[in-house]
Amino acid sequence: MLDDIKKQIKRLQAQGATYVDTRWYPYEERNSLSMWNGNLKDTNATRQSGVGVRVLYKGAWGFSASSNVEQLTAIYDRALENARVAAERVTFPIRLAEKDILQASFASPNQVDPFTVPLAEKVDLMKQVDAWLKDDAVQQRSVDLTLTRRLAHFIDSEGSQIEKNIVDVFTRVEVSSQDENGVTQERKFRLGRRGESRGWENFDPAFFQEISLRIVQELKELLAAPECPKDDRSVILLHSIMFLQTHETIGHALELDRILGYELAFAGGSFVTLDDFGKLRYGSNKLTARANATLPNSPGSFGFDDDGVPAQDNLLIDRGLLVGAITSRQMVEEANARARREIFQGSSGANRATAFYRVPIERMTNINIDSGTDGTLEDIIAGTEHGIILDGDRSWSIGSNREQFHFGTEIGWLVENGLKKGVVKNSTYKGDTLKFWNSLSAVGNASTWKMHFVDNCGKGQPNQIIQLGHGVPICRFDNVRVGE
Amino acid sequence: MKEIVFSTLEQLRNYARQQGLTATFLYREEDSSLMRFANSAISLNTNEHLIAIEITVYDGSRRASYEVIASPGDQEALLRGVDTAAEMVKHTMPLDYAPTVTAIKIDFVDESGFDAALAEMSSQQKLEYFNAAAAGMETGELRLGGIFSSGINVLAICSTLTDQTQYIKFTDAQVNVVLSHAVDKWEVLAEQSAARKTDLDPTPLQDHLSFLVEHYRQDPPIQLPLGKYDIIFGASATAHMLHFMHWIGFNGGLMKRGYSFLSEAEIGTQVLSPLVNMADDTSDYRTFPLRQDLIGMDRSRYPLFEKGIFRGFTYLQDEADEFAQPATGHTVYHDSLTFAGGDHPVSSLRQLVSEPRDTDLLYFPYLHYANIVNPSRGVLTGSSRFGALLLKKDGTIAVPFNVRISPSLKDILGSQLAWLSRESEANNISLSYGARNPQAIVVPKFMRVNGVEITHSNSSY
Repeated sequence: MLDDIKKQIKRLQAQGATYVDTRWYPYEERNSLSMWNGNLKDTNATRQSGVGVRVLYKGAWGFSASSNVEQLTAIYDRALENARVAAERVTFPIRLAEKDILQASFASPNQVDPFTVPLAEKVDLMKQVDAWLKDDAVQQRSVDLTLTRRLAHFIDSEGSQIEKNIVDVFTRVEVSSQDENGVTQERKFRLGRRGESRGWENFDPAFFQEISLRIVQELKELLAAPECPKDDRSVILLHSIMFLQTHETIGHALELDRILGYELAFAGGSFVTLDDFGKLRYGSNKLTARANATLPNSPGSFGFDDDGVPAQDNLLIDRGLLVGAITSRQMVEEANARARREIFQGSSGANRATAFYRVPIERMTNINIDSGTDGTLEDIIAGTEHGIILDGDRSWSIGSNREQFHFGTEIGWLVENGLKKGVVKNSTYKGDTLKFWNSLSAVGNASTWKMHFVDNCGKGQPNQIIQLGHGVPICRFDNVRVGE
Repeated sequence: MKEIVFSTLEQLRNYARQQGLTATFLYREEDSSLMRFANSAISLNTNEHLIAIEITVYDGSRRASYEVIASPGDQEALLRGVDTAAEMVKHTMPLDYAPTVTAIKIDFVDESGFDAALAEMSSQQKLEYFNAAAAGMETGELRLGGIFSSGINVLAICSTLTDQTQYIKFTDAQVNVVLSHAVDKWEVLAEQSAARKTDLDPTPLQDHLSFLVEHYRQDPPIQLPLGKYDIIFGASATAHMLHFMHWIGFNGGLMKRGYSFLSEAEIGTQVLSPLVNMADDTSDYRTFPLRQDLIGMDRSRYPLFEKGIFRGFTYLQDEADEFAQPATGHTVYHDSLTFAGGDHPVSSLRQLVSEPRDTDLLYFPYLHYANIVNPSRGVLTGSSRFGALLLKKDGTIAVPFNVRISPSLKDILGSQLAWLSRESEANNISLSYGARNPQAIVVPKFMRVNGVEITHSNSSY
């Protein structure tokens, strides 16, 4: 198959294609189990295989994909034909930034391949977790387990050939009940990074027991809690909402294709302009953010992107100053040309597709916030006069240029005069992105830093849902509107 | 093609029967094309041809599924899929209810939604359509974007319980044409949904866009003060709000789990404005109707609201089984939701703007990045985008920076609903996460809602 792919690539080059690449997935497997109130509602497995071909012709992209690899020639012909039509409407002929030609491979670290674990053992674990969630106060319990593995080959006309073997594990545990007003309250937990590997070894029953009992207890407190007040105060964001704040108002805002207007017809743009790099004060000097795809064990670490560029660790925001973006080979060339200066020195290795049948686009890797020097959660609380601690993503809505946002959270704890007070329910907060990040007044130390996994980031047309990570400390922001 | 589908399913059914299995087989095929425009160029021109076969094996109240996306000619992989599902079901756990197994009682073939002319549209024809929709408007600063997404969809299903097979084939297209200002960062949008090629006409899109561009160029921008406004929602905003009712409204399964603003006690009562008539109506071809569901149940018209009176919840078969409810024929990838028009005689934005008005009105065409804040209260939040206008009482127009609203669906479609336009249109809300699933909701072109609170107002585009 690999030889056939190389022959097809050469054939298209002979027909005028200036660049061709192919992603061949011999297999991508997914195992999804979903339990609701003790019923194993879904026991699903999928296996897919196929080929995706990307062709550059006279400065325009064409793409074609099929699960029917018996018709390889037709797939390549269609990709070239698509590029030929696209070449009729070109305003900025696509060029690709230089990269190293690589013969390489990557395998995500895991000690126990979850696909070797018997189904019965997985079901037993879920039953055990479900049992820990049982409580008279809990009306709905759900436990989801998703395991994926794929073997993918990347081959391009420049001579690169890369093999990737990636395993991922995701889980979600959730409880909910209606309060006395008939309003549903919920608490959930998603498995994040627990060490250096990402196999079945992450499913430690003792850990899940601790988590399960905690979210049940917090749900009970929510059911008896008063409403979140509506006023301006400091917000202290714990990991399960801090990751989302980072995701929506730093991650998406700094995708270079959005900045250049390539997502304006759907997902939206960014308030960031090319002039802003090196000048814009994105946040207070306590804010340092980076895109780090080299961190072992995260769905945002993948070895090489779908341009064949190695994973990197790049600064995005350095002590408040905007310095970098999430980029691909195509976009850095266009950005530098439009800006008439070299903002970006090569691709940051963030061009990814969710499947063989989708075209790669700029995607977040692990968009992380560096830990700070403001101590532990307790230290941050002690220094807060009038605030609220928030956790758990419940809803999110962001302006089309990522300039403003509104988030609903699962739970809040009021803070008055340096002391943590009672729980409040239906907590929300909102703000303007730049004003918010510039109000960052405390960043927790390394002991507060945790890696959160995201398995449902959507972008692009056709839409692609991708997996990634966010390593974040606990942070405090001042003068934030809550409760609307 | 149909013969290959039937033959593939027949082989799988025979094999499963030979193994003594109870199983269902769902065949999904999509041949999708998408031409994407950005910065006045074709930024991407793609096509994907995918065939997926989902095999579900039952053993009493146990079930397990295995889906294969591969070449249909790879019979070994398909048969191995049956074996895998059969092995999985042994190790899964029994449900505490009896799941219904699909039993197709008559051979059912519906190709009425398939339009060969739409299926065969070339990339060149799509480009010509786009060029016509944007004619005369592009400049160095004002740039063309959008998509022309089209596809052929095949859904076929059978099981070991009967010898019959159900086969549905249809076409769809979704067009979004966007003009965006590179410096000022505003965008205007015109959309079209098509089940047939004859549904496609770039003329009204060009007219709508040129009207909006004219106003965005000449009228003053304004940051709206926070407060209550009388809003005219466009079809897209209305369709997206109704789309959420699939989740937190009349979806019986989610209601049973506590995620609905409607309750069983409200069936038969006045819940929304008497102006609201809503149904799942498969007789409207614009909704890409599935006239039988995946269980093989007939999907005739299913009323949801009649003059604001709530008529009942819809149930997936599995949730009907779990909650001991009668099946409603809603085991489908998408419903055919229709929201009937009212009596207000306005059919275009130009006409709306020219109408006399006794108060300021905010035209709110699109609800960007909407999400559910509180499902039990039906509270959504989202921002304006793609061509909002402030139609002032004195007849002048201003262009508002985007604003955020966070209303409840019960208020929007209840006491605050003032009028619905007589004319309706199909708004294509397809997102195509994963498998292609064309979806359009028929809604009034315009809907006036009074006293909606703006909770956030941008200071720029």
